[in-house]
Amino acid sequence: MTKVHVITRDNRHLYEDPLEEYFRLRHEVFVKERGWRDLHRPDGREIDAYDNGNAVYLLALDQDHVVGGQRLYPTVMPHMLSEVFGHMAQRGIPRAEHIFEWTRYFVIKERRMGRTDCRLLAAVQEFCLQEGITELTAVVEMWWLPRWQQTGFKVKPLGLPTVIEGQPCIAAAITISRESLDQVRRLAGLRDSMLVRDDQMSPVLERVPHVAA
Amino acid sequence: MSDRAFDHATEAFAFIDSLDDLISPDDVVEAVARTFSLFGFENFIMTGLPNPKERFEQVVLLKKWPMGWFDIYAKHDYVRSDPIIRLCKNTTQPFEWSEAPYDRMTERKAAEVMDRATDFRMRDGFCLPIHGVNGYEACFSMSGVDLDLSPRTKPALHLMAMYAFERARRLLETQSPVAPSLLTPREREALIWAAAGKSAADTGEILGITERTVTAHIVSACQKLEAVNKTQAVARALQYKLIQL
Repeated sequence: MTKVHVITRDNRHLYEDPLEEYFRLRHEVFVKERGWRDLHRPDGREIDAYDNGNAVYLLALDQDHVVGGQRLYPTVMPHMLSEVFGHMAQRGIPRAEHIFEWTRYFVIKERRMGRTDCRLLAAVQEFCLQEGITELTAVVEMWWLPRWQQTGFKVKPLGLPTVIEGQPCIAAAITISRESLDQVRRLAGLRDSMLVRDDQMSPVLERVPHVAA
Repeated sequence: MSDRAFDHATEAFAFIDSLDDLISPDDVVEAVARTFSLFGFENFIMTGLPNPKERFEQVVLLKKWPMGWFDIYAKHDYVRSDPIIRLCKNTTQPFEWSEAPYDRMTERKAAEVMDRATDFRMRDGFCLPIHGVNGYEACFSMSGVDLDLSPRTKPALHLMAMYAFERARRLLETQSPVAPSLLTPREREALIWAAAGKSAADTGEILGITERTVTAHIVSACQKLEAVNKTQAVARALQYKLIQL
């Protein structure tokens, strides 16, 4: 049964193998499949400046293998929207302790027809509700918007679509809500929590370094 | 950024924000007609893409189409030959009608639908494919004779169209989550026996049809209910009161 595991710097030593597989899959999906050649790395592991101690990973694992993943990163730190895609947010970049950036979302090819997407989407809502994260920002390909909307996500555009690597993409802010979690669960017929997390994990918001936004 | 592009952005965000206040599908038709006419659009349709067993009329969400054209389109079942619909299934990006390929020589019906549309002032168009989860497919196609389609206007149109579609979908969903006539009698029967714990083989014997036919009914019910498997289809059919035990 696929579950979504929360991995932070507190417990990453327990997930060495899945994380290694995760970085390789990212290379597979984002560089090879989508053709984001800037991310190419000779060792076949797609790792960027935001894969550091501030990142939180929510990985979908099925029998110890990664079938999908996503990353959360504090917006009070320099992050992708502030450093790379700022021009896409004509309405301003939401930044606060309780706002995180959501990046590197993927589901492996073999699982794209099933419920893995919904599990990951439910997991991100559930995790944010638990942690007091109220909003996520993200840059996504436009075709994702109806998928999010259908699963009950409340999405506000931060700018007009801009073509990146041949695909119209948009910067957006997503309001975390209980209704969204309920809707995605209903749609996928998911009854219970998807999340596997370490009870000892320190609250994410308390770990965010206090820096001027 | 040029002032004009900024205007389109402001216009797009104002339009999107205003959608929240609309309370009926007709409001959406009116709002879309008003705003999209600024770009030269005269007609539009938001529709699901029918599977081989569905009729076009069943999957249309909203439309502002010229009098008469809808009847012609439905009567000739043009949805199966329409090059716009075909491209919709194969791309996630919005496109101009002129970008939808077909062969005038060998695809007579495709040429026919495009030609006859022109008679109704649907000469050029812009189409946004929608690909949701659980295999949900739809499109928002709009047209007219003098369109303002450029790299400056398209991003705003793309974004507005997506939000307008979602607003329409949501409003129609709350009106009636699933139409009662959605499932055929055979599909309902197959689900009722599944709910009673019978396998497809058992059900086939009970109903005097082959196991394969039973499975086909279940698969079709799954599609209509946007269910990922038989269990979920049964659950939804019960929830929507399409079957009773």
